[in-house]
Amino acid sequence: MTKDNMTRKKGIGRRRFLQLAGAGALAAPFAGSFPAPAVAQGVTVRWWYHFDNPQHSPAELVAKFEKENPGIKVVAESIPWGGGNDYYTRLFAALVAGNAPDCAMVKLNNQARLVEMGALEPLDDMLKGWNARTDITEDIWQLNRASDGKQYYLPLQYVVLYLYYRPDLFEKAGVAAPHTFDDFLKAAKALTRDGVFGFGMRGGAGGHDHWGPFVLGGGANFRKGGMVSDKALAANRWFVDLGTKEKVFPPSAPTDGFRQIIDGFKAGRTAMTIHHVGSSNEMVEALGDKVSAVPVPRAPDGNGWTSFGDESNAVFAASANKEAAFKWITFLSTAENNVTFNGFTGQLTVTTSGMANWKLHPKRFVEASEQSLAMAGVLPDSPKTADFVRTVWPTNMQRALLGQISPDDMMQAIEKHFHG
Amino acid sequence: MTSLVTAGARSRALMTPYAFLLPALVVTAAVILVPVLQTAWMSLHDFVLFRPKDVPFIGFGNFQRMWNDEVFWISLGHSFLWIALVVGFQFLLGLGAALLLNESFWWRGIARSLIIVPWALPSVIIGLMWTWMYDFNVGVINDGLLRLGLISEPVAWLAHPDTAFYAVILALIWQGFPFFAVVVLAGLQTIPAELYEAAEIDGASRFQKLVYVTLPSISEVIATALLLRTIWVANSLDVILVMTGGGPGYATHTLPLYAFLKAYSGMEFGYGAALALVLTALLLVVVFIYVRRVARELSR
Repeated sequence: MTKDNMTRKKGIGRRRFLQLAGAGALAAPFAGSFPAPAVAQGVTVRWWYHFDNPQHSPAELVAKFEKENPGIKVVAESIPWGGGNDYYTRLFAALVAGNAPDCAMVKLNNQARLVEMGALEPLDDMLKGWNARTDITEDIWQLNRASDGKQYYLPLQYVVLYLYYRPDLFEKAGVAAPHTFDDFLKAAKALTRDGVFGFGMRGGAGGHDHWGPFVLGGGANFRKGGMVSDKALAANRWFVDLGTKEKVFPPSAPTDGFRQIIDGFKAGRTAMTIHHVGSSNEMVEALGDKVSAVPVPRAPDGNGWTSFGDESNAVFAASANKEAAFKWITFLSTAENNVTFNGFTGQLTVTTSGMANWKLHPKRFVEASEQSLAMAGVLPDSPKTADFVRTVWPTNMQRALLGQISPDDMMQAIEKHFHG
Repeated sequence: MTSLVTAGARSRALMTPYAFLLPALVVTAAVILVPVLQTAWMSLHDFVLFRPKDVPFIGFGNFQRMWNDEVFWISLGHSFLWIALVVGFQFLLGLGAALLLNESFWWRGIARSLIIVPWALPSVIIGLMWTWMYDFNVGVINDGLLRLGLISEPVAWLAHPDTAFYAVILALIWQGFPFFAVVVLAGLQTIPAELYEAAEIDGASRFQKLVYVTLPSISEVIATALLLRTIWVANSLDVILVMTGGGPGYATHTLPLYAFLKAYSGMEFGYGAALALVLTALLLVVVFIYVRRVARELSR
């Protein structure tokens, strides 16, 4: 009997064992994760947050809250944002695993999913007893209300997207800051020369904020058939043509993300782009008074649309400390606390009293934001919105800009995504 | 009585190896087997993460959907091209580097240390670094090519479907070739000098020495390195995710990236699991060859 046969007779041989173990270990590229044990510690409130600048910490606000509310301890957990993907993947996984925090910072594009899974606690009853409620304008409450009429989100900060432009380049080209689509096209064409492009378009993730003003403002909407109406198709063709025919977007536009559009603008490679007050200090630091802002242009019929960039706090239905969690999130949305909080995030306070004496951003950008509120809108309160933002819009926009599909095919794909 | 004792001792002797193996087996089952079974279970369900209470069993529905999914086929095709080009060029570059580093020159020690740098850098850093090198506005590659007069205007390397995939491949080749260089160099150092002396006496040229002495002597090392690297490259999605996110359009979609996007962006864990299983099944072929080689070497 050979040595090999002897081994085999005793059961799994070494070779076989190695084969099985090795195959298992190497062939499993995607491993699941194990739910951590649920935490329930009386009046300890776990709160998830994300700040773009990791050097900022809400510790000072936590200390102030704990001093004012001796019975409640707040554990603030910083969660990586990762363009939203990391944050929400962790949040949904924690909710499914039963280890979610008591409350967390949340955005509207995931509200419908959270509502659908029954994860959110309606705040309506608790809000009735909150005195500072009226310090947040009704417009902002309205934008944050769920489609079932309930208030799950407590507004925390906001931005409204506007059009950045370079007054010096505009002056040189002999054009004025645009207010209509026609003005915009005229200016973009005049500015596109000598290696400068009229508009720094963001074709990567998050770029729907650049598409919305021209296509949603131009007549498209997310209701059934709203993406494939004649008006919607024409608006999208016009927008895609800016890149493919008018060539006023840089060739890198299909994959440009936040950093590329901001740096391109700062470097003088583009003369206009769309973003919000969150980048205004960085812009001013680089360009001084050679940067200004106006609301995004309006369509020929006078309609307009720009993205309302929201951020709220929500309390989770599974929390054992809902009232304490509510106390903490209302603390954050109250006057001076909210101003302090926005100092960490670089966005705008949701409180009227805080806005009255706003010093965190140059006035012209705050004014452009306020003027834009009238046409600010949000994406639909649908479970499909998050995937639209992350993959459906970027993929189809990129293909349309590269001529792989027609602008109409792009709109058909969006219509199909939302309505089948 | 004697026979009973003998039987007891024999069964103890039989069980002892398993007792020693048990902790490793339990850990392996917990971190590998359970997630794999979970993935298989998910692939048979319409499991959407934000509908945890509604997870209907759909049998092979996800696999049927995959069959009719254009993006799956695009991603699969890209995956094969990705593996062939990345592993192939990493190997050729690594072999060349190893042959050079095996020569003696005064700064060989420094060169051997420096070559590890790309391999030692985190993938996300590499992805970001190359993204900025390729950047249309401020990238050093466009700047260099413009100065050399090789292009007349900047090229949007990562935004054009014809160049994006190969641009990402180049970044990954750069990242991974040191692995081959180090492994092959280790192999080269085991070749007895007598073989080269004998070849020289026989009048062999440098090229003949490479083909008839060097390569056959390290063929085992090369085969193992190629198999291992194929598995790693087939799984890798981090650099693509950072550099292009799979775009423009589907230009840089590979199978693991598509599975990742479906699971973590669409939250369609069922479909994502099915895609991952197909990748796993394809990889099992390579893994099987690799494990057989390792087992054979161990039993020598």
